[in-house]
Amino acid sequence: MKKSLILKLFTHLEQGCQKICGGFCLFFSKYNTFQDLKMLELEHLHLKHVVQLVSALESIVLRSFGPEGGQVLFTRDTGQVMLSRSGKRILSALHLEHPLARMVVECIWKHSTITGDGSKTFVLLLASLLRMIHASATKEPHMSQPYNSTETTEAACARHLADRLLDFALTELDALIALNVLPHGFCVSLEDSTGKTEQSFQTLLLTFFNTRLGNVYCDFFRDLMCELLSHWKIKNDQPSFSIRFLNNNFPAMRTQVSGFPVGSSRLIEGQVIHRDFATPCPPLNEQSVKAVVFSGYLQPKLLTAGDVLELGCGNRATEDGSIVHFSSWTGRSLESIIATLKSFGVSVLLCALKQSSAALALATQTGMCLVECVSEEEISLFAQLSGVTPISDCWRICPEDIATLTFCKPILLGAHRYVHVDFHDSEERLNVKPCSLVICAPGEGQTDQYACAFQDAIRMLLTAWEPMHKSNITALMRTFPSNKFTSVHKDNMGDETAYASCSMNLHETCVIEPGCVLPAGGTFEFLLHHGLHQYGRSCSVSVNTSAVVPVSELLANALLSLPRHIYSHSPKFFLQAQTRVMALIPKQSHTLSSSAIQTEDLLEDGKLSLHSCKKGSMALTLLDLGLESVSCKYHLVLAVLQCLTSLLRVNKVLRTHTVLHTKSHKLLNTCSESTEDEDEDEVVSL
Amino acid sequence: MSRLVKKSPSVCTDLPLSSSDVCNKLHLMKEFLRSSYGPTARLKQVHNNIGGSVVTSSTSSVLLQAIASSQPIISLIRSSILNHVSRFSDCGLFAAVFCLCLLEQAGQCGLRKNVMIKVNKHLLALCTGYLQQEDCGCKVKLDFCSSQSLITLARSVISSKPTCVLTEPESDHISRLAVQAFLLTVPCNIPDTVRLGRTVTITIEGHSVLKSAVFPGLLLSMPESLCFDSLCSPLHVVLFSISLAGDLSEIGDGRIEMHQGVDVDSQILDQLLELGKQVLKDGVKLFLCQKVIHPVLQHYLRCNGVIVIERLGVSLMEPLIQLTGAQPVATLHATIPSTVYGKVHNVCIRQFGCKTLLHLHPAGESAICSMILCHRNETMLNELKLVCQTTEHVLGLTLREPFALLGGGCTETHLAAYVRHKSKNEVSESTSVLGCSQTEYLLAADAFCRSLELVATSLEHDGGTSLIDLTHAHHWTLPSDVTEEHLEGVMAPCGCGVVESCQNKTRSYLDTKYAGFSPAPLLTASPLQATVLDSFTAKVNALGVAVETANLVLDVRYVIQDVN
Repeated sequence: MKKSLILKLFTHLEQGCQKICGGFCLFFSKYNTFQDLKMLELEHLHLKHVVQLVSALESIVLRSFGPEGGQVLFTRDTGQVMLSRSGKRILSALHLEHPLARMVVECIWKHSTITGDGSKTFVLLLASLLRMIHASATKEPHMSQPYNSTETTEAACARHLADRLLDFALTELDALIALNVLPHGFCVSLEDSTGKTEQSFQTLLLTFFNTRLGNVYCDFFRDLMCELLSHWKIKNDQPSFSIRFLNNNFPAMRTQVSGFPVGSSRLIEGQVIHRDFATPCPPLNEQSVKAVVFSGYLQPKLLTAGDVLELGCGNRATEDGSIVHFSSWTGRSLESIIATLKSFGVSVLLCALKQSSAALALATQTGMCLVECVSEEEISLFAQLSGVTPISDCWRICPEDIATLTFCKPILLGAHRYVHVDFHDSEERLNVKPCSLVICAPGEGQTDQYACAFQDAIRMLLTAWEPMHKSNITALMRTFPSNKFTSVHKDNMGDETAYASCSMNLHETCVIEPGCVLPAGGTFEFLLHHGLHQYGRSCSVSVNTSAVVPVSELLANALLSLPRHIYSHSPKFFLQAQTRVMALIPKQSHTLSSSAIQTEDLLEDGKLSLHSCKKGSMALTLLDLGLESVSCKYHLVLAVLQCLTSLLRVNKVLRTHTVLHTKSHKLLNTCSESTEDEDEDEVVSL
Repeated sequence: MSRLVKKSPSVCTDLPLSSSDVCNKLHLMKEFLRSSYGPTARLKQVHNNIGGSVVTSSTSSVLLQAIASSQPIISLIRSSILNHVSRFSDCGLFAAVFCLCLLEQAGQCGLRKNVMIKVNKHLLALCTGYLQQEDCGCKVKLDFCSSQSLITLARSVISSKPTCVLTEPESDHISRLAVQAFLLTVPCNIPDTVRLGRTVTITIEGHSVLKSAVFPGLLLSMPESLCFDSLCSPLHVVLFSISLAGDLSEIGDGRIEMHQGVDVDSQILDQLLELGKQVLKDGVKLFLCQKVIHPVLQHYLRCNGVIVIERLGVSLMEPLIQLTGAQPVATLHATIPSTVYGKVHNVCIRQFGCKTLLHLHPAGESAICSMILCHRNETMLNELKLVCQTTEHVLGLTLREPFALLGGGCTETHLAAYVRHKSKNEVSESTSVLGCSQTEYLLAADAFCRSLELVATSLEHDGGTSLIDLTHAHHWTLPSDVTEEHLEGVMAPCGCGVVESCQNKTRSYLDTKYAGFSPAPLLTASPLQATVLDSFTAKVNALGVAVETANLVLDVRYVIQDVN
């Protein structure tokens, strides 16, 4: 009942806010009792605060951005040291107090958990967009709405701009990318492993590791990653399937070893189970080994919690009543299980739980070796690779549950001894050569960092080769205002007309193909900037809404700040890079002919042939700049704009202080967005 | 919920290596570790502020654990070095001092961090490549036919820890014992992979170091003196891994309700005595248990002439299983199968000071041995035990790579001369690969070599000066009371003892610039007889860890400290 009351109150408050300025509020509270709400505090959010906030985040991320960037070192309150160049980890390790900052970090976290890349760029682009919006909102406070304070006018203006930006991006961004960026990129296919494709694929990974780990080890890890992928390449199956498999099982596949130089990192065949034998090690023999997986206890627990064993009622004199009898029953049941296993010739037992010492001793006596407390992830990987299911009921063991291993031996990695297994006939059965990754570095912080980089590289590849949803495309085509372009056609003459019509043609048929890559170092931003600029001009000519700030201009200028940061150590390089990319774009008249040719191509095979674009100039820039995925970039821009919109929709912060049932009234700032559930109760500060 | 406290904000430091506070701390740490390096090191006493035990040591593992710093960069370096030490036991101080010297030199030469990192990595590859080469001038192949080189290696490790306070004959004795113990743990009938046995160390305080000894087999401490008749060989052994005290630990979480007249204790004791009877029937003469044995069962067994030892602890179980071949029994209820019994050849009682020990002689081939270490007081004894473990580990590493490096700073000076020469000759190739200018490359290479030489210089603590000869690039020290005029008469051999002093060698001070030259390998007919040797595997790894840690620290641009 209390909850519903609170909810009612909140909706009321929210409506109030809507009435005042049409925005949303952000609530912070832990609504334990109704009384808590007495202590509501209201805080107005001004646009300049938001800009300051995101700029603060930007300044942290900037230190590890670009080719001259470095690591950020953290120490946790536990004294643990963490190193990172990944924006996601840096930002999520901060203790942020301001709710909006936490909202931004949340957005970044979500984005980069999916795509594995682009978290630093996210912050930079967001900060730059906010600054642009701030500038244009303060410049023209001529909106006719009846607001009395300039701040609310600004906020409304900014919100309006953000909404339009998102709207614009959702409808037209992919068309613009297809038109302006894609012709300069090319597709890398995962299936095809000819020289050039292979090289581009490696360059893509190299660029990723360069941004994540610095340039010292990036080529080493690139090679390791390629080797890993080639081992896990499932024959006769889609390559994206094997990447997805790697993504799901990566935590079980890697072993982190500290105390060795990075160069000792390597791949080893088979699977490493991160536990030691609980019994003496098995003898080494040439024959294959039979293994089973147990998810429960081998020795049944005599009394579980709540059970009561009554002793001595009735026939107190006989043997059956003695406690010894009861405890020997479990022993006998264990013996029979071990005997069954022995009859199947099983010699390795992998258990998810800790087993009793009797089970260990009996297994030792029978010559079996036992591994306890194997993690769920590892059991799952083992089951997938061996094709058996874990046994939950020890009384029902059938031959299908028994896996055949080529070997099962101890392996010493760093300070720990683990169990190393390899699977029999995995190449015929699964079409893969299973292997595990050993990541070595002098300290734990680094091994963690490298492992994260690997996981994110896999995610990045998944995003890059993610096929666009077909429904998305058709929806896009429906919503696309083709009549607008026809109006352009009528209103204007000459080159504009041709440009518009050809862009329309392209739009209907072209999508961002999976695996499309582009030279890194700002090429995407330069090209899209140019495209947006042109689009903005065509719009401002055609649709006569001079009062409205062209949002495409806004985005275009914001995008340009990214290459500025990349070449921040010398402005000369920025200009050089811009000139180089701009040289790729033909002059206006030239564009017409080339687009026209492309349109013809397109009509022929129904699909934009991306390889038709200028290869010579690409080859020039490819080597020194690296490559990045267009699809990742596209997702990034969309995510930033979504974050921006939600950020600017907030105009008030309500801080509720929970009264704890203790004498000291500790402050509890708990963050929770009004629409989302009440979440973690950690207290934060910047 | 009731103990929620508002967290304090994180402390952020931008560009930590430019801050003078961090630089001072790094310098302090370097001086601290430098003064603990080598055989003439200054000892460090570690106290804590709440009056805990006082530790005196100069070993890296003890010192680094003691210097917990709130500065994240220091703790980063510290954890890297400690990780190295836990894998290789040796060369921890070398790695730490080298890493800190690299950082200091990098700060002094003022190059861009990215260039420093690239060049450091390149030069590391050059060094490790050279060390792996067949004709490397500072590497010695270990000869397993004679124990001499192994003893030299062991003595180098032992004498580099001055806290043990060993005299010359004492350190010789301990070195020989360490090699003897190591050789006893190498199994004779080798299958595919060598699995080394175990040395169990027992420490006895208050005796002379020369009374230390090594025995094949195991020594178990006895609770009380007991006499037994001469036993016929071999003796059957049973080994229990569960408690025989009469408790029911593995019954589960439920409750037990007892009616009147039920005596669970006596029921279990009956079961225990039943077990005792079976063991007696099977002719067991040695009854061992990891945990506690019920006194009644103990008494019963002793009366029947069985030697009973309880509370062995989990660490002795593995060596006991290996020595006796017994399999641990973990049930009271089933009859004990005859296959689980083990055997020992014989037992005898040894008396060492206040300790009475039961010596189990292995029945057959066994790779288990016991080492008795004696020393005058506890501090020295602890250090000696640590040193012996390090030595055992270092000797074990030679099985994988049968090499050693010249000690006494000669490897460092030799490598520095090699790198100087190489980097000067291949400057244009390297700069094109690394993408930096020639000046940058040469400056960074100089910083690297200077750091290596500084490590060699750190061995000297008595005010002497370090020299390098310009033919073999070995390391020489000139005592502080000797002037250059009568240098030739008093000059001892070089740091590692390979190169004898002779007149026609030109030497240069290590802290001055000398013309680059390619260090010549020593051409002698007989294998090199060095007096100081370092572990090859440990040092190569230490070199890698030091450079990589330095690179990592150079790459740190921002520090965020959670101070809650």
